[in-house]
Amino acid sequence: MIEVRNMSKKIADVQALSELNFTAEDGCITGLLGPNGAGKTTCLRTLFDLLKPDSGSAIIDGIDVSSSPLQAKRQLGLFPDPFGLYERLTPFEYIQYFAELNGLASGAAREATDKVIEQLQMRDIANRRCKGFSQGQRMKTALAQAIVHQPKNIVLDEPTRGLDVMSTRTLRGLLLDLKAQGHCVLFSTHVMQEVTALCDKVVVMANGRAVAQGSPEELCEQAGERDLEDAFIKLIGTDEGIAA
Amino acid sequence: MSNNSFIVLKKELKDAIRDRRSVMAALSYSIGTPLIMCLVFIAMIDKFSSPDALYINIAGQDRAPGLIRHLAGADIHSEMNLKDDQDSVKDINLIIDDDYQDDLRRGLPAKVLIQADFSNENLKASISRLQREISGFTQELGAIRLIARGVTPGVVRPIDVEVEDMARPEAKGGFIIGVALFTMIYSVFISGMNLAIDTSAGERERNSLALMLSLPIKASDLVLGKLFAVACFALLGLLLITVSSKIAYSFVPWQELGVNVNLSFGFIVMLLLVCMPLAFLAAVMQLFVSFMAKTFKEAQSYLTIVLIVPMGMAMVTGYNIGPDVLKWLPVSGQQKALMEVVKGNVIPWDSLLVATAVTFLMTFGLAAGLVKMLKREQTVFGL
Repeated sequence: MIEVRNMSKKIADVQALSELNFTAEDGCITGLLGPNGAGKTTCLRTLFDLLKPDSGSAIIDGIDVSSSPLQAKRQLGLFPDPFGLYERLTPFEYIQYFAELNGLASGAAREATDKVIEQLQMRDIANRRCKGFSQGQRMKTALAQAIVHQPKNIVLDEPTRGLDVMSTRTLRGLLLDLKAQGHCVLFSTHVMQEVTALCDKVVVMANGRAVAQGSPEELCEQAGERDLEDAFIKLIGTDEGIAA
Repeated sequence: MSNNSFIVLKKELKDAIRDRRSVMAALSYSIGTPLIMCLVFIAMIDKFSSPDALYINIAGQDRAPGLIRHLAGADIHSEMNLKDDQDSVKDINLIIDDDYQDDLRRGLPAKVLIQADFSNENLKASISRLQREISGFTQELGAIRLIARGVTPGVVRPIDVEVEDMARPEAKGGFIIGVALFTMIYSVFISGMNLAIDTSAGERERNSLALMLSLPIKASDLVLGKLFAVACFALLGLLLITVSSKIAYSFVPWQELGVNVNLSFGFIVMLLLVCMPLAFLAAVMQLFVSFMAKTFKEAQSYLTIVLIVPMGMAMVTGYNIGPDVLKWLPVSGQQKALMEVVKGNVIPWDSLLVATAVTFLMTFGLAAGLVKMLKREQTVFGL
């Protein structure tokens, strides 16, 4: 479970987050939905202690990130945007590297890597160097890295960006699997279809605040619109919508 | 070294060995430099030394058969006696005066003229050899004249200067050894440079830096792993250059300069030990600078500027023109100590130990600064 409490963060002169509050439950897929510059990525970075909030806190499975960052980070897996692959390593080596750094002993890391390669059906590319991989193959490698150590919470930053329909569908299937296994899945996006297809809960962000929270249906109801996109525009205020 | 930094080290080395650019950088300098230096030294020796059989232009040699015979005894010949084209003629003219024989007969100073371009480095050794031989002949002739007049030649030599060279043959090549050592020590800065950039600025460029820092590992583990990886490359470069120097320099005819440049096994071991701290300093310095850069290119241009400092220090020490304080500092301190060893003198332990301590202190300081830097948001995201 990921909790963000009253979090504020100023980057340079921009108030990137102000009094942000939300909770992402286990066994749920939670989407951070917002236009560009709403503070989605900033929020995700504070979960990993990459950015320190000016006030407020992030709590992962009851562990405060700023007071015990290493322990908190052990409960997390990150699917970053961009992926940050090492082109000269094979997916097997890459995934195993992250497994080991996440605390698995080398034997256990190898087993876990083997398992996740099977799970994501990437056996055919497992021993090829990442250089020249398609976007879909890169996505799988990055996701495998994020889940190899079986973290309770999985955080994805704009996961479907640059993916074709097939890869997007694969990714959605994988996220639903993770949800079914009881993981807490939190991802940031600005794509409505993602939210409709996946999310149990949506946190609508604008100007560093959570302007509305709830299931997609609840949001439509709240805004008095039938379509989520219309509801979204209404909730964040039209100015931001156009800016996005 | 913690388990995590060892995992990072293993990965960085595997990644680097597959990076042709990093490997080439380490290899090309370490193997190429001694070869180039070897060729340069051979050319230099050829230039500065006079050939065994010296051929020059002699005008009017018929007039001075005694002098010509004396010169021939010292292997200096007229170009007319040149047997084959292999020995090239030096551009030196020795002109025997028309009145040479008359003057000689009447006891007047007979004239010979040496004509040559005295600014030409190629001719210097040969010109002074010719002058020495002619003056030897003059003294010999003078002595015979005095004896003929019943005077002992000693009266015109009130002072007999004797010269005894105390220097060991090893010490004579001080300048050459300085330059050769400079190329070897500098290899620790060149060999790991590409890897240092790739693993820091390159990591940021690939967008993997934030991902690494989001892992549950300490920033110090990450820094240590990378530091050891870069230092490994630096040491590998150093090892390679000592071995290729040993091989390459054995082809240089040092004896023609009267010097002895020999890299013994013991000296190589000592060089590696003395330079090991430098490899770590070079690595941490390069990582520190490249982590400040946003891209590979940017880091490259920063490092090119920063590397002028150790290069300058090593060069100044190699040419022996620097202030005394350099012997207490990294790079120059180690180089100075090693130069003493090559010259066969005792190791200056005090300055070497201080220089090594300063090297370690700087390494720790920079490493601590680097860890601190990686905890700053501005560094990680280039804000």
